Amino acid sequence: MNKVMVLAARELGSMFRTPVGWIVIALYLFLTGLVFATNTLIPGQPATMRYFFSTSALLLIPIAPAVSMRLFAEEYRSGTIEILGTTALGPWTLAAGKLLGSVVFLVLMLAPTLVYPVLLFVLSDPNPDPGPIIAGYLGLVLVGTLYLSIGQLASALTSSQTLAFLATLMLLVLLSLASTQLPARVPPPFDLALLQLSIDRRVRDFSIGILDSAHVVFFLSAVGLMLTLTASTLAMRRWR
Amino acid sequence: MIVANQISKRFGRTRAVRKVSFTLEDGQIAGLLGPNGAGKSTTIRMVTGFLCPDRGRVTIGGFDTITAPQPARRQIGYLPESAPAYPEMRAMDYLKYRARLQGLPPRDAKHAASQAADRCRLDPSMARKRISALSKGYRQRVGLAATLVHSPGVLILDEPTNGLDPAQIRDARSLIRELAEDRTMLVSSHILPEIERTCDRVIIMVAGEIRADGSPAQLAARLPHQLRIEFKTIAENDPLTPRIEQVPGLDGLQTSIDSDGWRTITAQCTDRARDEVSKLVFAAPVQVRTLAADPPTLEDVFVRATEDLPQGTTAKGGADA
Repeated sequence: MNKVMVLAARELGSMFRTPVGWIVIALYLFLTGLVFATNTLIPGQPATMRYFFSTSALLLIPIAPAVSMRLFAEEYRSGTIEILGTTALGPWTLAAGKLLGSVVFLVLMLAPTLVYPVLLFVLSDPNPDPGPIIAGYLGLVLVGTLYLSIGQLASALTSSQTLAFLATLMLLVLLSLASTQLPARVPPPFDLALLQLSIDRRVRDFSIGILDSAHVVFFLSAVGLMLTLTASTLAMRRWR
Repeated sequence: MIVANQISKRFGRTRAVRKVSFTLEDGQIAGLLGPNGAGKSTTIRMVTGFLCPDRGRVTIGGFDTITAPQPARRQIGYLPESAPAYPEMRAMDYLKYRARLQGLPPRDAKHAASQAADRCRLDPSMARKRISALSKGYRQRVGLAATLVHSPGVLILDEPTNGLDPAQIRDARSLIRELAEDRTMLVSSHILPEIERTCDRVIIMVAGEIRADGSPAQLAARLPHQLRIEFKTIAENDPLTPRIEQVPGLDGLQTSIDSDGWRTITAQCTDRARDEVSKLVFAAPVQVRTLAADPPTLEDVFVRATEDLPQGTTAKGGADA
């Protein structure tokens, strides 16, 4: 566990030592600030952050690949993977540490947006219901973690950050389209299967305060699967 | 102790390494020598456990790198080619990070990082800088220091002086010699003087196989000396050349005479022939200007190994190709 933390701390530190991390955070805060100011802070409307959460989940589609693309691709490119691969670390530790670092980055990126609910509490009467806000943030962290774990797998498969970014972005867009557009166009039981994959539906539930354990299990299982695939990819590289 | 037993590796259709075997005893410094593409880096990657051999096995201190990778890796300090590191990190932070990855608690990691930096003559002002701001020579020192943070018994260095200028190479070489005092060390290089001056054993690889293995002296002993005699006869006839021509063990004998009457004989000779020739020269009524039998250099050994040395003629523990 200690080594997971050490890896996560270095990963997090490197995101803030390079411009990419700051640019991603600045861009995200600018866009969500714009959304909050134009769609949430509307006089006479109920104080809700539903729109903020759905927009944030959408913004995570390009943001997560931008964060995850360097996780392993950069190690391959620079040769530091040889150092990690010859230190007493298992592939699981490696994958978990890097993912944890990027998830903490995501949480730190979301943290400044807590000013929005605070503003709502100050400005709105009646005050907003805190339940959907807490659930909404939990939903964003879970969605972000899933996206990052998918991006991490892509990054473990190539030494090109660009390729890792594009592959993850395309996969996330496809996932989103497949679960929102296709169910109405395919026969049962495929429509239900596609609906089960829907991230949007789960984010919507979180943002209205529904804390469904099935959603949490879905995200954690998917992240677990991605971590397993990433660790297997790293382990298989020794046999290539 | 490193034991590589019949390790082989293929990349697709390319046979990178084939049936390579060697044993490095504790405290031994071995140089892995070979032209580019000889399979040195692949061999080193299999020894460190970064790659798994298709066949054969490697043990480090008795631990198999495949079945017991963690204990095997704990004994290795490995510097890959070009000393990769994280350029955005400060050198000392990087050393602490490497120590923490080896399982050292924070306080011990700090102490180990400082010790390793001192050992590699990385002064505090340099250790505070970002790695991207360091010269290549200093980056190499950071890389070397990082291999030491967990006090490994085995050091494996892949092309440690690659890309350094001559002054940096001299510096790195002396550092490597110092580090080797209390460790087993495997150094890969294609720079012959580097290996000759650093290692007490040389393993020459060509096309994925071991072609020669032994101490530089052992390997050189199997090659002939280059004999050169310059003399002037006192009498009218040359009494020496016909006698020298009769000595067994001389190869490629050539004679010449210049306008001042100085005769030159050159040949390749064995140790015994060299001794015989010197007896004849000192006994003959001639004025000798030069009598030299230059021993073969590692370069000669290397050239011979890469040309026509038969496979399997290793001094010890070489490939059974």
